[in-house]
Amino acid sequence: MNPTFGSILIKVFAGAVESGTILLLPTLGEVLTERSGVLNLGLEGLMLIGAFFGFLGAMKTGNPYVGLLLGMVAAAAAAAIHAFICVTLRGNQTVTGLALSIFGAGLTSFYGDSWVSQRLTIAIKPMAVPVLSQIPVLGPIFFSQDLIVYAAYILVAIFWFLLFKTKVGVNLRAVGENAKAADAMGVNVVGTRYFWTILGGALAGAGGAYITCCIHPYWLNGITSGKGWIAVALVVFAMWNPFNALVGGFLFGSIEALQLQLQAAGTYINSALLSMLPYITTFVVIIVATVIVRVRHVGTPKELGIPYAREEK
Amino acid sequence: MLRFEKRDKTPVRLRVLVPICSVLLGLFVGSVVMLFARVNPLRVYGAVVKGAFGSAYTFSETLVIAVPLILISAGLCLVYRMKFFNIGAKGQYIMGAICGSYLALFGPATMPRPLLLTLMMVLGTIGGALWAIIPALLKAYWNVNEVIATLLLNYIASYILWYLMYGTWRDQRSHGFPLSKSFALNAQLPRILPAPSRLHIGLFFGLVAAGIVWIIIRKTRFGYEGRVLGENERAARYAGINVFKTIIIAAAISGGLAGLAGIAHTSAVLRILQLEINSDYGYTAIIAAWLAGLDPLVAVGVSVLLAALEAGGYQIQIVMRVPFGIVGVIESAILFCLLAGEIVTHYRVSLTRRLTA
Repeated sequence: MNPTFGSILIKVFAGAVESGTILLLPTLGEVLTERSGVLNLGLEGLMLIGAFFGFLGAMKTGNPYVGLLLGMVAAAAAAAIHAFICVTLRGNQTVTGLALSIFGAGLTSFYGDSWVSQRLTIAIKPMAVPVLSQIPVLGPIFFSQDLIVYAAYILVAIFWFLLFKTKVGVNLRAVGENAKAADAMGVNVVGTRYFWTILGGALAGAGGAYITCCIHPYWLNGITSGKGWIAVALVVFAMWNPFNALVGGFLFGSIEALQLQLQAAGTYINSALLSMLPYITTFVVIIVATVIVRVRHVGTPKELGIPYAREEK
Repeated sequence: MLRFEKRDKTPVRLRVLVPICSVLLGLFVGSVVMLFARVNPLRVYGAVVKGAFGSAYTFSETLVIAVPLILISAGLCLVYRMKFFNIGAKGQYIMGAICGSYLALFGPATMPRPLLLTLMMVLGTIGGALWAIIPALLKAYWNVNEVIATLLLNYIASYILWYLMYGTWRDQRSHGFPLSKSFALNAQLPRILPAPSRLHIGLFFGLVAAGIVWIIIRKTRFGYEGRVLGENERAARYAGINVFKTIIIAAAISGGLAGLAGIAHTSAVLRILQLEINSDYGYTAIIAAWLAGLDPLVAVGVSVLLAALEAGGYQIQIVMRVPFGIVGVIESAILFCLLAGEIVTHYRVSLTRRLTA
């Protein structure tokens, strides 16, 4: 292989891991939220809230990690609204999620207006992992990244283990599959749903803040440009499994990175069509994934989107 | 602890009170958000009212925004009753505008005006309907989540418009700007008030559509079946209702009305095809439908109210430099309160002592 071509490929895939992490964090969070039976379609709004408050925090403190944390807290607080309406008040989860998306877009473009195009001087920097980053090909792609990418790898492992190998995971899945039975077993249905909805919100916020505190360290209204919706679709692709979320995130990250490289290289392909590519791919993938889920009877938590009411028979 | 008892019927008093309280609470949340940004909410709301109702002209501009909201929300009232959550009105609106504009830009220039306009409106309606039928088919046959599908189709439609406006549909004399050539007089839907008002006959389309959808919901077998389907899909299947057909027809009607809104607005108000054709009305209409309790006639009034908020929002952005995002905050806060309020319309809530056993 031509060495320059090889180095370009490595650059594309390293970019894919970055873009993939933006998608992985909210997807991972939503996998857990949906496992508890709560459907949160507000990821796009939560990511925007995370992105803006993350940027704001980093600007005010000069520390992008503090910014990231603030973005997560803000998004978690917004997710708590979703939990309150959907779990306690048994509101319609689909429409509440939509309201959350409109809320996030409105709130961040209102407060963000005076910050548009301002740049962060200190963004999160890559930190190569000793030894591992020296592995040819894989090293520069996976282990010369920043701390957030490594944290995302670790979170996937932790949540996979938690979900399938621990009592906490059994309870979480029970609440999403059959809340009444879980309740009878003594699991706190309401508490479980609140906890995982808010945690999912924090992860969506982390995905958004990762954009503004690291990848594109400036603020633009609507900077997430539909990534929250792609993440919602990726949850189906991942069949509610954290490990598959990792695969899906990087697959879609690759499409994004490829599209950016093609645009930068000035190919003959129209830029509107290239920009459409991630949405078309997601559209096809959601159809295929839904069909596979149906045929194989795997995945979908049975009581996803259904509020739990103890006193009704 | 709180005790919830399911209601058989919602008292009329609550059906009126909950939306009104939601609007007031939404405005309150908007005020709090503005106070954090050191903006005086009273001045802003004053300017919004003035910007929306201040003069005959500003009120007619409010109605210009209300027209697409009335058309789209009428269709949404129908599909939402069947629990088909079409949030793709934005994309359907864009496809309607594209399909109808095709005739305006490339159709035979000599065609008589009434014929050309009729064909444009029909083509726009078909374009929107087809864009809604895709996710409806996917839902009916493979149970693909319609929320995700319609939302992705919104992005795809936006990029199709982008592709055309930077490509073959761009006017050679636009100096590189993504604008089509201006619509010929024959392709402009008539306005009904003297200039500068841009209010157009689309208002009548909207009122007629709202009336027809109301009749469909209340007086026809199809509307009845749709309501049964929305309440209990399994019961609907047992009753012999063709669930596929019902969903697909309803989606086509709602997409068609969104498409009609798109081409009517483009042809009468903008008179040119461009990147920004106000397709976000597709999202505002969702709030209108929900605020109206999915009643298309009530949605007419609610659309005017939300249109006033939007028209006023544009004004405060220009005059007071208050970002338009505040409108989204207020609208979503209203929606949150409505959804939260459903607990009292669906259940009788009472405070009891903690249950033992």
